[in-house]
Amino acid sequence: MSVLRNMDTDVTYNEIDQTVLKTLESPSRSYWLVIVLLFLGVLVGAACWLYQIFIGIGVGGQNNPVAWGTYLINFVFWVGIAHSGTLISAILYLFRAGWRNPIARAAETMTVFAVCIAGLFPFIHLGRVWMVYYMLPYPNQRNLWPNFQSPLMFDVVAISTYLMVSSLFWYTGMLPDLATVRDRATGFRKKIFSIISIGWTGDFEQWRHYTRGFLFFAALATPLVISVHSVVSWDFALAIVPGWHTTIFAPYFVAGAIHSGLAMVITLMIPLRKIFNYQRFITMDVLENVAKTIIFTGLIVGFAYATEYFIAWYSHNIVEQESFRWRAMGEYQFGFILMVTCNSMIPLLFFVKRIRRTIAWLFGISILVNIGMWFERFVIIIGGVAHGFMPHSWGLYKPTGIEFGIMLGSFCLFFFLFVLFVKHLPSVSMTELKEMVSAGSDNEH
Amino acid sequence: MAQNEHNTLIPLKKSVITVFSGFIVIGFGTFVYNLLGQHPERAWQAYMLNFLLWSAVAQGGFLFSAVMHTVKARWSGPLSGLSESFAAFFPISFVLFLILFIGKNHLFPWIHEDLHGKEIWLNIPFLFSRDAIGLLLLYGFGAVYLYYALGWKLQRNSSGRPIRNSLIKLWNTEKWDEGNYRKRMTVFSILYIFLFAVILSLIGYDLVMSLDPHWYSTLFGAYSFVKAFYIGLGALIILASIHYRRLGPASGIKTDHLVDLGRLFFAFSLVWADFFYCQFVVIWYGNISEETAYIIERTMVSPWNSLAWTVFIISFIIPFFILLNRNIKTKPIPMILLSGMIIIGIWLEHWLLLGPVFHHDAASIPMGFTEVLITLGFFGLMALALSIFLNLFPELIPVEQKDAAR
Amino acid sequence: MNINMNTEKYIMGFFRDEDQAAQAVTDLKESPYTLKRVHGPFPSHKISRALGQKKSKIGYFTLAGGIFGFFAGFVLAVYASIQWNLMVSGKPVISYVPFFIVGFEFTILFAVFGNIIGMLLLSRLTNTKIPVQYDDRCSGEYFGLLATCSRGELDTLADFFKSKGGETRIFE
Repeated sequence: MSVLRNMDTDVTYNEIDQTVLKTLESPSRSYWLVIVLLFLGVLVGAACWLYQIFIGIGVGGQNNPVAWGTYLINFVFWVGIAHSGTLISAILYLFRAGWRNPIARAAETMTVFAVCIAGLFPFIHLGRVWMVYYMLPYPNQRNLWPNFQSPLMFDVVAISTYLMVSSLFWYTGMLPDLATVRDRATGFRKKIFSIISIGWTGDFEQWRHYTRGFLFFAALATPLVISVHSVVSWDFALAIVPGWHTTIFAPYFVAGAIHSGLAMVITLMIPLRKIFNYQRFITMDVLENVAKTIIFTGLIVGFAYATEYFIAWYSHNIVEQESFRWRAMGEYQFGFILMVTCNSMIPLLFFVKRIRRTIAWLFGISILVNIGMWFERFVIIIGGVAHGFMPHSWGLYKPTGIEFGIMLGSFCLFFFLFVLFVKHLPSVSMTELKEMVSAGSDNEH
Repeated sequence: MAQNEHNTLIPLKKSVITVFSGFIVIGFGTFVYNLLGQHPERAWQAYMLNFLLWSAVAQGGFLFSAVMHTVKARWSGPLSGLSESFAAFFPISFVLFLILFIGKNHLFPWIHEDLHGKEIWLNIPFLFSRDAIGLLLLYGFGAVYLYYALGWKLQRNSSGRPIRNSLIKLWNTEKWDEGNYRKRMTVFSILYIFLFAVILSLIGYDLVMSLDPHWYSTLFGAYSFVKAFYIGLGALIILASIHYRRLGPASGIKTDHLVDLGRLFFAFSLVWADFFYCQFVVIWYGNISEETAYIIERTMVSPWNSLAWTVFIISFIIPFFILLNRNIKTKPIPMILLSGMIIIGIWLEHWLLLGPVFHHDAASIPMGFTEVLITLGFFGLMALALSIFLNLFPELIPVEQKDAAR
Repeated sequence: MNINMNTEKYIMGFFRDEDQAAQAVTDLKESPYTLKRVHGPFPSHKISRALGQKKSKIGYFTLAGGIFGFFAGFVLAVYASIQWNLMVSGKPVISYVPFFIVGFEFTILFAVFGNIIGMLLLSRLTNTKIPVQYDDRCSGEYFGLLATCSRGELDTLADFFKSKGGETRIFE
């Protein structure tokens, strides 16, 4: 029984190089079409945002009582997606799970871009965007400093840290591959890659420090993932709004983040492997393992839903009870049903082996999970403030066209950056694949 | 007599049985003595604390094998066998739970309280039946997993004790290969893991959180099972270290195993501390008096705050700095001491959670010989159960590693 | 000194197979030739062991960064809070519970910075010139063993490599 079933054992280093380098060649017409369409979407989003900056934040649907709308939902959504990239590239590295190797690069890229997109949303939801620098701690004439006791400041610190660490981790991971491209490139591309590969020669003295440094990176990124999404959850949990103020939020959000991120990984990997002929590397076994992990995270999320409802009843706190009753029965019931079905029930289909090994099912379920996770944030964020302590201030919220435009822009920006990436940088880690082949060929642990 | 090629972990010598049985007798004696005395509640409270702690050790210790099997980990090797031995405590734990019923009047402050509607959940018949069924299911699925795990590992020679022989007869009736065994094991390992989360949460809510029936925390259930896995890993490290120390490399345990196990242990010390902090920061920040009273009494007010700091220091701060070092994980004696200290810390943490409920307005931390001796009794139960089990199935600790893909 | 520079020749032996390369490293170390360095497309444990490499000291940089970050985070948060010097939302001016989060994130951030600085300094990656004796094959499918010998021994060294199963390239 082969220990490493994730990749065919007759894959050669050369095949890895050739397949990956081929993806960097001149793109086809359809690629340009996709790029243009995505860019148009980005422009739509930018235009909407510009409109909002000039007219005011009121063009969005936020008002009393729901002051946090789709901008926050999208913020949490994108940070969530980012986390599972780090799970795959860092946490699974620590667990020595070989099946991560073919998808680690794309996953980490997903992280970096998702954090970038997420980081836009605090700007967008500010209204007076030009005052964003208030959030930075710098000495000023009036001696005004940010309030580091506020969870919103925790967010600033945590998200900036996450962005910097992810980018550095991403770049470091790519370094040996950049050298591989440099050595096979010509002309302008060779010049660029010579600069960005900063003299990497694969000298074993370099590898010695690199491998240990990479291990530390992974070991540091792991608590970072947990802490960042815990901090994001505390944006809500540290308030006293019913439905928000609950201790389970931190691990619940982290599990949910990984859940949605893994689904996004599947959504990205399936077209990627098809278009770039990565099927020999990103095998069905790899996708199957992602699907199995989704079952696990889905169960955690379902468990959290059940716990919240149980404790809402147990607490005999009439405000809590009403908040949760309304969540399931009130005007946003459709969101609640979508959330529970797509996040905790549909992933259970992956218990069936045939389903988790069929591309169409994998793709379809991954899309549904992401829809469900988006609506989970909707139910929590909107549902919390819309139906709070005082009945006379209960109200509803509807996103406006501008918000939809910005949301469209954010999704398009993410895919735009990702599609740009796959054509300019190696989207699969050649180095890690070669390590996998080497380990597989001698059944080495 | 049967020739065992394998060295047993804790040979069932007369001295071993005597010592552990002695502990049990002392514990039981102290318990009965206090029951008949002026403060029977003290006996019951110590009993409940120990029931929770030692059951958690067994449940968490067993979880290791289930998890390693489910994720098809290859690094666990002989450690899985040691982990499975914790199932020996399961029947004992179940019986101990049933006995709790006798002391209900001393344990549950809400028995005679007006709970304004919560009684449909917090009433003795419902509570005991649901927890008993829950434990039955958890231990049942664990036992079935164990059945297949042992069936795969054990030599089928029918020499040895009657329990073993009847099991072997059962296994020999099944004509299965490795594939079937693994599939069955996977089904039950997943069931065990799922129930571990659900049932330990339930017990956390029912037996610990409900003691202050007006306080609640949604993370309390998850906190309980994370704690259980933490101390389960600690206990597993103690077992592995004893084995490694006795036999050295011949035990089948390599330094790599110990390092990986130590790392997992370190990770869970962080998870436990993180879950504690998650509850703490939310309640501290919201500052809602319904929630803060619980935390204030335990962490900010004398006498319990000194206990809180003690727990934090010995179960997190000290292990954090020690376990950062790689080499310490390969040394059996320091790891036994460290894990022991951590388990004592979590024992104290249980007391931190339960104590203020039983001793309102305590001037100093109420702890004395009663608690210590009853704890000793429970320790004796656990140790004896493990010894008997490992002697019954010595293959759980293979002397050489046969099957790498276990 | 000068005479040595004139007669020293560089040969790189290329091996596709990791085990062969590791064996060649061991043999080369026992031979009269000097092994300068080894290049490879991925960090092979076998070759690393054959080279007798010790653990990297990069951890000290990471640790230093982390310790600095921990205190920097706290100091920043405490300083900012003291400037306002009033209780906000009932939380004390200096409260460790929330400031711990700032300290924690800064610990990770500066530990990563330390890690990067350590990596760049120790691997001398900041010197972006690629040495002359480097072949593009080393980042693809070959391990390259760079050895030196005197002009006269050139052929014997080349044969040595070929006998181990590798191809050779001579650098001027």
